[in-house]
Amino acid sequence: MKIECTIDGKHLSLSVNSNKPLSLILMEEAGNQSLNSRCRGNNCGNCIVLLNGEAVLSCMIPAFRLRGADIKTFDSFQKTRACHDIERAYAATGSKPCPNCYAAKTLIIESILQGLERPDDSQPFPLPARGRVQNLTEELDPENIIQELELNRCRCMDSAELLQIVNIAAGYRRRRRVRRN
Amino acid sequence: MYEGIRSPAIHTPRSVSEFISTASHYPHAVIWAGGTYIMGRPNYYPSDGLTDIIYLGEIADLKKITRNDRFIEIGSMVTASQLLNAGKLVLSDVLLDTLSKVGSKIVRKQITIGGALCTPDIRLVLPGSLAILDAIVEVKQIQGNKTINRWIPVSRLYDKDGQLLLTGMNLITRVRIGLETGNFQRFMMVDSPVHDPKRCVIFAFQCTKGQSNMSKAHFCFTFPTAGFHISRELETQLSGQPLPVPPQRINRLSFALTSEIHKMHPQVTDLQLERCRRMFEAVFHELNTEVLEE
Repeated sequence: MKIECTIDGKHLSLSVNSNKPLSLILMEEAGNQSLNSRCRGNNCGNCIVLLNGEAVLSCMIPAFRLRGADIKTFDSFQKTRACHDIERAYAATGSKPCPNCYAAKTLIIESILQGLERPDDSQPFPLPARGRVQNLTEELDPENIIQELELNRCRCMDSAELLQIVNIAAGYRRRRRVRRN
Repeated sequence: MYEGIRSPAIHTPRSVSEFISTASHYPHAVIWAGGTYIMGRPNYYPSDGLTDIIYLGEIADLKKITRNDRFIEIGSMVTASQLLNAGKLVLSDVLLDTLSKVGSKIVRKQITIGGALCTPDIRLVLPGSLAILDAIVEVKQIQGNKTINRWIPVSRLYDKDGQLLLTGMNLITRVRIGLETGNFQRFMMVDSPVHDPKRCVIFAFQCTKGQSNMSKAHFCFTFPTAGFHISRELETQLSGQPLPVPPQRINRLSFALTSEIHKMHPQVTDLQLERCRRMFEAVFHELNTEVLEE
């Protein structure tokens, strides 16, 4: 099957089996370095990528759903300002994920932060109608955030550390948006 | 690396009638909803078994949620995330609670309601909650050129071991849930049905809590790979039970329940039995607390 898609900003035309998982396409066809997953759909949570801007487990996306898709892996995400917010939060807390799950945990945190900014799309993180972005840090629901972060099964960090990172990163994101507005 | 592996043909019908015509041409095709179950199988890729896939993602009719004053109808391709976003206006507490415990938000975007009901060999969180809400599903059974349309209660989709009873080429198109539900609903889950199926217990309970007694009690225990348990006998015993329920009575009922489960589902482990007894008792203690607070 021939699919045309964009991976990390590069427009590619790939000839792959129609049911091949995106994780294998990225590792074997696109030569992606940041993806570190061999669980084959068993939910290790290490293969997270952004598909059309939304975080997905790439081992759960077959090739036939990729026509015209825009895929962003950690390779390109790490060059963005959004990633910089999260990396600053790692530095501020003095703890960061292990190299094995660094990319996946960072992308999950990004997905949580995006969910906070788009409340309609993220009922598990409800926000008040007024001052949504301004109230990011006050409105974080620890239980939901921990549930999200548990998608990655690497236990290199505890929940309290991760929550602190999300809180700090949300604060940086909020301040950047306030400045832009 | 994968030389000789045939690439399955993908069929993407745009309507239910188109699906029926495709399915009658390819009776052995795999029906693909969200794909989370199929892609999670250990031998999913590379595999020679898949020759044709019918992908339901393009059928707009299967993605609708409609509501009238008697029931809500949910298309089988509605995702857990979309349904959760529909919120309290359309969903009962037990269903909201169930959906919020399905994996994480990232996975919920991909899990479809129809797919969650149709996993062949493992029962996940949704069937139990839908069963206690007396939900029914519309099933289109394709037999050659004929299509048989049936409405089946969710509780009858599975045998006592939790195995799916639908055989051949079937399509669940809609799930219908009545809006008249009990005023006391609880959903509990211990461990993950995907990661720890032999330890996991899923419990859904609802009843109508009156001034002095309870009525219309429904409950369902799901043991992902060992059983799907609805006890009509105990439900009858519970309906009409005076409130608050005395602790000795709760104790007797919970032991009756576990001995019934042990007899009917020999594959349920001792840990699961102990857990289901505790969950059952915990729900009654919560019910008693609410009654006494009032």
